Amino acid sequence: MTSPTSHTYLKTRAAVMAKRLFSPERLERMLQSPLETLGREFELNGIFEHTVSQAALNRAAEKALIHTLMEELGVLLRPLDGTARDILIHWTRKFELYNLKALIRGKLQNLPFDQIRPYLYELPSFISLPHDRLLRTESILELLRSLEQGPFADIAQQARRVYEEKNEPFSLDAAIDRSYYTGMFRRIRRVETGDHAPLQRLVGTLIDQQNLIWLLRYRFSYQLSPSETYYLLIPFGRRLHRERLMTLVNLDQFEQVIERLPGGLREYLAGVDELLGAERQLEAMTVVQARNCLRFSQSAVTRSLAYLVLREMDLKKLYALVQGKVLNLSDPLIRIAAGMEQHEREEVYDTQGKHV
Amino acid sequence: MFSPQPMKHVLLQVLTGDLPQVSLILAELELFSPDHRPLYEEHFPLVPGERFRDLYTQASSRLHKISRHIPLNPQVHLGGIHVISEQELEQTNLWLGEVWERCSAYEESLRRFADEKQMISQLEQALENFGELNIDLGLLQGERLFLDIHIGMVPRANVTQLKEAVTLADYLLFDYMEHEGNVHVIVVGPKGEHEKELRSVLDTAGFRALPIPPELQHEPERVRADLARRKLELERQLQNENDAIHSCASENRERLEQSRNTLIMAEPFVRIDTAARSAGHLSIISGWIPAREIRRIRQALEETLTNPFRLDTRNPTPDERPLVPSYVPDNRLMTPFATLVRQYGIPRYGEVDPTAIFAVTFILMFGMMFGDMGHGATIALIAWLARRKLRSFTLFAVSIGISATLFGLLYGSIFGYEDLIDAFWIAPLSDPIYMLSVALKWGIAFLLLISLISIYNRIIQGDLGRALFDSNGLISTLLYMSLLYLVYDYYADGGFSLVAAASTLLSLLVLLTYKAIQTKASPGERMLVAFIETFETLTGYISNTLSFLRVAAFSLNHVALAIAVFALADMMVTVQAHILMVICGNLFILVLEGAIVTIQALRLEYYEGFSRFYSGDGLEFRPLRLNTGGKV
Repeated sequence: MTSPTSHTYLKTRAAVMAKRLFSPERLERMLQSPLETLGREFELNGIFEHTVSQAALNRAAEKALIHTLMEELGVLLRPLDGTARDILIHWTRKFELYNLKALIRGKLQNLPFDQIRPYLYELPSFISLPHDRLLRTESILELLRSLEQGPFADIAQQARRVYEEKNEPFSLDAAIDRSYYTGMFRRIRRVETGDHAPLQRLVGTLIDQQNLIWLLRYRFSYQLSPSETYYLLIPFGRRLHRERLMTLVNLDQFEQVIERLPGGLREYLAGVDELLGAERQLEAMTVVQARNCLRFSQSAVTRSLAYLVLREMDLKKLYALVQGKVLNLSDPLIRIAAGMEQHEREEVYDTQGKHV
Repeated sequence: MFSPQPMKHVLLQVLTGDLPQVSLILAELELFSPDHRPLYEEHFPLVPGERFRDLYTQASSRLHKISRHIPLNPQVHLGGIHVISEQELEQTNLWLGEVWERCSAYEESLRRFADEKQMISQLEQALENFGELNIDLGLLQGERLFLDIHIGMVPRANVTQLKEAVTLADYLLFDYMEHEGNVHVIVVGPKGEHEKELRSVLDTAGFRALPIPPELQHEPERVRADLARRKLELERQLQNENDAIHSCASENRERLEQSRNTLIMAEPFVRIDTAARSAGHLSIISGWIPAREIRRIRQALEETLTNPFRLDTRNPTPDERPLVPSYVPDNRLMTPFATLVRQYGIPRYGEVDPTAIFAVTFILMFGMMFGDMGHGATIALIAWLARRKLRSFTLFAVSIGISATLFGLLYGSIFGYEDLIDAFWIAPLSDPIYMLSVALKWGIAFLLLISLISIYNRIIQGDLGRALFDSNGLISTLLYMSLLYLVYDYYADGGFSLVAAASTLLSLLVLLTYKAIQTKASPGERMLVAFIETFETLTGYISNTLSFLRVAAFSLNHVALAIAVFALADMMVTVQAHILMVICGNLFILVLEGAIVTIQALRLEYYEGFSRFYSGDGLEFRPLRLNTGGKV
């Protein structure tokens, strides 16, 4: 952050932009609106007019929404410099990592480049991989050699092991995500003192959410061993730190894991007995935490990051709405897909002032 | 010379099968710039050549990758230019695919050799380490009854997490050495149910086993010799691979260069892309051609095409003007000046091309600021001697050198000596006020010329409102001239002319009203913005005019610097020191002041000149051409 003026400007910016976040009433209105109205409101009309197939339309809508998020990121980045700027840019790298996963998975399955390309997000040049060059590689080994030359060398090595030893690619996904969060933490360690703790809390919450979902999935859906599950987790969450994770991976039943969670988390997940439910509850928890950061944090960069986290979740909901309408799904189904019930839960937690 | 060439929009109707040939003809002529707008989408819905483009892109990518291993001759000899069919392109692509497969296998081998080499190096380090330990290595080798032991290395970043993970499988991890980003570890645990689980964790963590030879304890020399042998073998295999790729290179280089030619000749059809559209057998190509070249293009098409074609041309519509590429034919004399103008931007179609004005005014201003026969002649001479390095910039440097020489003659200055010859015009320091007044008049003339060009440009663009009322428009110019007249009157007679005062006030009011109408805001804000912008226009003219005082200031500065050099030289005790001082001082003036004067003259051109009339956001005319630069 350059100066107190920039700090104040960024806080004001984040507060103004926070008004764009969806309230339950707005989501309900959007659900009742026809597709054309949504298109007009979110500047997706061009896509609806020119795209023919449903799949292409979905992809185009998704790209347009990501584009919106990137434009807003551009606005938030303007007053920032140094590590604070770097943190917001690094957050958006997750989309580039989605691209990397799509590229590697596509090449592992020997898909031709024109079948992989539609699944890649179009991102600003400062975070974008040289897609065309990587897509033009003619085998997985050539792709890996290209990646080994750049900043993704460690991920390329992991991918090589997956390819050569015919392993399941989830270890690759985990390696990519771990490298992403490690990068985030490395940057947080370098920020100014005032920003350090709030950022660590917010990112720690995101990691807790991720860790718990993986833990439940690896242990009870994929039946991985405790040691392997633990190795695939990120050991620097906010509530789920090393010791706690080691205890949790050793438990043999879903309910036991929920029982042994620390206070706040346990309350959120009380009564949940399946993965999907856990994912929804954890997302609701993250939303509450991010909203608190957006409203009350003293750190402008934390507020900005919280805004981006919430905005991404909102745009995902919007995407689910658009997708549901394109596919002519019923309102109750769209409501589930867009997580609107969960949104109502977030509001309840929020108004009760429940802090995790 | 003063504006880009008139252009015509062309619509070329041909048979779809003739498209590649037409593309090639247009590329050979280098006069056609494709228009990619979907103007005729309704009647010609298809964009032909999709497969052709895919094949081209893949083949180009392959050739580019291959050329990393098999360098091609940078000089391209196209030989017989002919139309590339899809079949020929496909065959070329297939063949390039085969060659790339060999190169790719070579790359992979190199990677594996590097990997193996690193493994041997790690092993050497580990053995050295074990050699110094007083333990029975036999205990770590082979199958144990109760213990499961793994010796190997892990990337440094994974060690902490792995250490914790293996404890969950009742194993222990000990790290004993670190080498080149890898940590050497021993993992030990009880044999039994967790063995498989551990292997899976180790795999995920990138663990690589290090085979400890059983002879290490008793015959370490034999082990070392063995490793050295493995290294040598590796080197030999690497040499074999290198020989294989070299032989592949000499075997295929000629055909690769032919393939490059094929791709160069296929490229024009690819570059036309969406500028060509088709509906069954009939296709169209749309684009821009310099008006005077239409006949040449028609003639070339008539001579080459056997099938009928139709070429329709029209002038650009007013809406299209911003999209029309600006074609300024190359002029060898103007090239260095054009390069400097392009640094600022490309002229819009129809706009005045400032290159000629820039060339004349820059040369004059440089000479006036740096007038010295000796220095000017030195610059011209050095530029001539270094003409091979300076290439097209030789003329630029020679011109400013000659200009400085001529002004030196007018000022009577040679290498700072002001009394060797009589000045043909004036020695700057003899009447500084006169020099400043000349610079001021030069500035006024320059700004008036620029304002007139600005008005012309806006009229050409059909923007009459801005041509009349905006900053640098007709009313602003009137305001400037009235102000000048007012000031002149005041200095000449000590009073103000009524006509000039009325004209100043009237033009100010008109400007204010125009700005107020143009601003979209609340009434208060509108007035404020209008007032500030009008005031800015007024002060802009004053400050820009005063900016030109630097032209005289630098001519004075040049003499002052020379006086300083001679003063220092006079302080020297010996004649030799005096001469040395004069030479060094002159070199100092030549380099330092020469650079400063160049920058200042450029600043006057860009800031006081171009920014007033030259938008610089035009589109460069990039015709379809055969890319013989050797790049693919």
